[in-house]
Amino acid sequence: MSMPPTNLLQGTLDLLILKALALTELHGLAISHRIEQITHGTFQVKPGSLFPALHRMEEAGWLASSWGGSENNRRAKFYRLTAAGRRQLQTERRQWEIIALAIANALEAS
Amino acid sequence: MALLRHLGSLRRNLFERARVERRLDDELRFYLDRLIEEKLAGGLSAEEARRAARIELGGMEQVKEEVRQVRAGQMVEQLLQDLRYGIRALRKNPAFTVVAILALALGIGANTAMFSVAYGILLRPLPYAAADRVAVVYLRYFPRDFAFGTLCIRDYLMWQANNRAFEDPSLFRSLRMDIGGAGGVPEQVQGASVTAGFFPTLGVRPLIGRTFAVGDDQPAAGSLAVLSESIWRKRFAASPAVLGQTILVSGTPATVIGVMPGAFQFPRRETEVWTNLVLNPPTRYGPWFYRGVARLKPGITLEQAQAETNSIGLRMMQQNPDYKRLTLPVLGLRDALIGTTLRPAILVLAGAVGLVLLIAVVNVANLMLARATVREREMALRLSLGAGQGRLLRQLLTESVLLAAVGGAAGLAVAWGGLQLLRAWNPGNLPFLDAVRLDGAAFAFMLAVSLVTGILFGLAPALQSARADLNTTIKEGGRAAVSSRARGRTRAALVVSEIALSLMLLVGAGLLLRSFANLQRVTGGFSAAPSRLVTIQMSPGDRKYSDARAGLALYDEVLRRARSVPGVETAAVSDSLPPDRQGDADTFAIEGQPLAPGQLNPIITDATVGPDYFRALGIPLIRGRYFTEHDDQGSTAVAIVSEGFARRFFPRDNPIGKRIKQSAPGLGNNWMEIVGVVGNVKYLGLTADTDAAYYMPFAQGYGPRMFLVARTAGDAARVAPELRNRIQSIDPGLTLAQIGTMEQALSRSVSQPRFDAMLLGLFAGIALLLAAVGIYGLIAYSVAQRTHEIGVRVALGAGRADVVGMVIRQGASLAAIGIGLGLAGAAGLTRFLATMLFGVGSTDALSFLAAAAGLLLVVVLASFVPARRATKISPIVALRYE
Repeated sequence: MSMPPTNLLQGTLDLLILKALALTELHGLAISHRIEQITHGTFQVKPGSLFPALHRMEEAGWLASSWGGSENNRRAKFYRLTAAGRRQLQTERRQWEIIALAIANALEAS
Repeated sequence: MALLRHLGSLRRNLFERARVERRLDDELRFYLDRLIEEKLAGGLSAEEARRAARIELGGMEQVKEEVRQVRAGQMVEQLLQDLRYGIRALRKNPAFTVVAILALALGIGANTAMFSVAYGILLRPLPYAAADRVAVVYLRYFPRDFAFGTLCIRDYLMWQANNRAFEDPSLFRSLRMDIGGAGGVPEQVQGASVTAGFFPTLGVRPLIGRTFAVGDDQPAAGSLAVLSESIWRKRFAASPAVLGQTILVSGTPATVIGVMPGAFQFPRRETEVWTNLVLNPPTRYGPWFYRGVARLKPGITLEQAQAETNSIGLRMMQQNPDYKRLTLPVLGLRDALIGTTLRPAILVLAGAVGLVLLIAVVNVANLMLARATVREREMALRLSLGAGQGRLLRQLLTESVLLAAVGGAAGLAVAWGGLQLLRAWNPGNLPFLDAVRLDGAAFAFMLAVSLVTGILFGLAPALQSARADLNTTIKEGGRAAVSSRARGRTRAALVVSEIALSLMLLVGAGLLLRSFANLQRVTGGFSAAPSRLVTIQMSPGDRKYSDARAGLALYDEVLRRARSVPGVETAAVSDSLPPDRQGDADTFAIEGQPLAPGQLNPIITDATVGPDYFRALGIPLIRGRYFTEHDDQGSTAVAIVSEGFARRFFPRDNPIGKRIKQSAPGLGNNWMEIVGVVGNVKYLGLTADTDAAYYMPFAQGYGPRMFLVARTAGDAARVAPELRNRIQSIDPGLTLAQIGTMEQALSRSVSQPRFDAMLLGLFAGIALLLAAVGIYGLIAYSVAQRTHEIGVRVALGAGRADVVGMVIRQGASLAAIGIGLGLAGAAGLTRFLATMLFGVGSTDALSFLAAAAGLLLVVVLASFVPARRATKISPIVALRYE
């Protein structure tokens, strides 16, 4: 672990989850691993944050879920992006780019 | 779409809770198991893997709770959970719950009852079309000076000719009428004589038939009658055939043209018949019998209408030099119906009952604070187990609102009982109580009040609890945490405010009770026992008795028969009766006391009475003589004046032998010689300070409609039926009405002050009780807390008296502050009572002192109980209690 678990910025978690699910459907633990992987270990999402976020996003209609067989042949709940979820990903991504650019500019200002 | 989905989740979360929970459990369990598998694969032992996975998950239940928090409908679910928890908590502490619910039930119940009264009288829509646009117009002028006096037809024509503010000015008069000729024996009822615009102004359609049409109030019109629903049902069996029938109205044949629905109760609630008022061109001013009623034109306010009638009043004064300072007061329909004294009284009582509720709220807040101390550990535990402060706050507020709701429900029963009591204890004296009932509006009011009170008394204790400092609370083993001193101060402040509020109510109640007692001492001016006087309003019915000779013969026979009834000592006739049934009033002239041009003597009561009237009522003769049988049409016209009249108009002379005359235009040059001076009698209510009156003998001023008054040897009520039968047997056409005793009349005349005093007294009593409970609770709690200290004191030799003194001093010092504040508050508030008081000032020292002393006594008594308990503290037990 190069960094201590970062206190996720409000809203960042949603973006990460949406991104993690952009390619394929995943179950909870896999989502958590995927996030760790794509952020190169910077973000470790604890279940106490992950599951409430998944359920909230599902109720918001961004995610859909289904129960299916897993690696160990047990029934697991798989999440995937809905059309609304994809749109949300685009929106959040644009917002994030604006923020990132703004913060970077701010920090480089002399 | 989004809404549908949301509703879908809500439905699942609420109604398929078990399945949703199972799924969540499956999901998390799978997560944990996969994690363990991964750890095992990473080379950890089974034990180590399980442990590491559990730590990483961080508590299955907590994660579940977090997920539940984000679910749709979690508010509802939590609320249900909080309610279940609240019910359990309240049941666990029944003493607290019962006291709090009782206090709230009294507070909310009294307020709901009062709301029903206020709503029924002041707010409930009247059954007339756009009733807030209808106004009643009066006439006020000097010397008559009635604030809401009546007009004559000339005044009306002047108003009508100059009116621009109202749509169609109409005129009406309330009077007693005899109904006969069809539908059974003649009877006397309340009637009204109205012009053609009257019914259209009020905008109520008849049940059957029609109301008066344009032209029905013109000289060529015939006599027509509109009946009330009740008399139509009673006398005509609700038959439509009544239309077109001819009935006798006070002896005159009239054709029935319509029936009004029962809700139509104007100008009086008990009006049974309306006849067409025919506007014959008047030859002179007077008689002033009428009031106007009209609908405001669109866009015109009552104030604008008043301004316009005032300018019409100026013209009327120019045309008639007898009118001084004339105005045409305008009242909205509701004020005209309920009178001008009821509204301020109801507002005062509503304010008082609001104070009662405030005291109840303070009381319950106090109990909650005391309980919060006990529950500190529970709260700390819940906080440490992961409950958020917001969650805890919501939980505690749910509990207090639940408490208030139960209190409110019980309050509904209290309100219902209270209204029943009010009706029972006020038999028919306050007609407006008919409009008062517990309905949807009252229920909504109760709910709103419960919700607000629940939040009000729950918020402060809840905030304190939710902010509890975990460390100290748990360390101190749950005792004396959340700065118990601060909480003690809050509680003391609450009790002080309770005492102050109760004192204000007590002072108000004291003032009204004293005022009512004063009213009870007012005699009305006659010495006969009120329970031994029976009075009947009588009318001969037939038109032949409008002739004085026939009428006087009839009344001779009536009196002869009345005196023959066993138990009757004496009987007499009069057109006026104390305490408030004035017949006529007029101005007058005194021979040899010329008035400046344009000056008039005041308008005072002129009563027409039979020879035995003064003796029957026991009105004392001061000078001269009473009337006799010989004062008749063949002898000199005579008059008797009241003592107040003599003092005012003959301050230096003996009035006997002087001459006065009625000076209403058209009454000619009829000088009357004053033959006697009698004591002052109240004819305009016990509180009126009008004492000037003059009397004329019945035989010289005959009128057909008279009161019969009989003094009996025993209880007058028992003689009344026989009296009625013997008189009725003279002629079935006679109508007898309003049979009752003088005692009933007196009671009726003070029914509103009695209502005010009793109600405020009741509210003050409840307040006192609540304050006593509050102070008892505080002192008892403080004694319990100081057990150790008191034990030490006793061990060091403090005697029982010392301990009792110490505890009572604590209560008394709180009371002193509360009483000081309450006296100041009362001094500021009692001026709102000023118009309701009689014979006592709004800052009456005795009422203030008595209230303060009474309250202090109650406080001392309430502290005495815990003080006695304190003396029983054994030093050994107290010290070991640590």
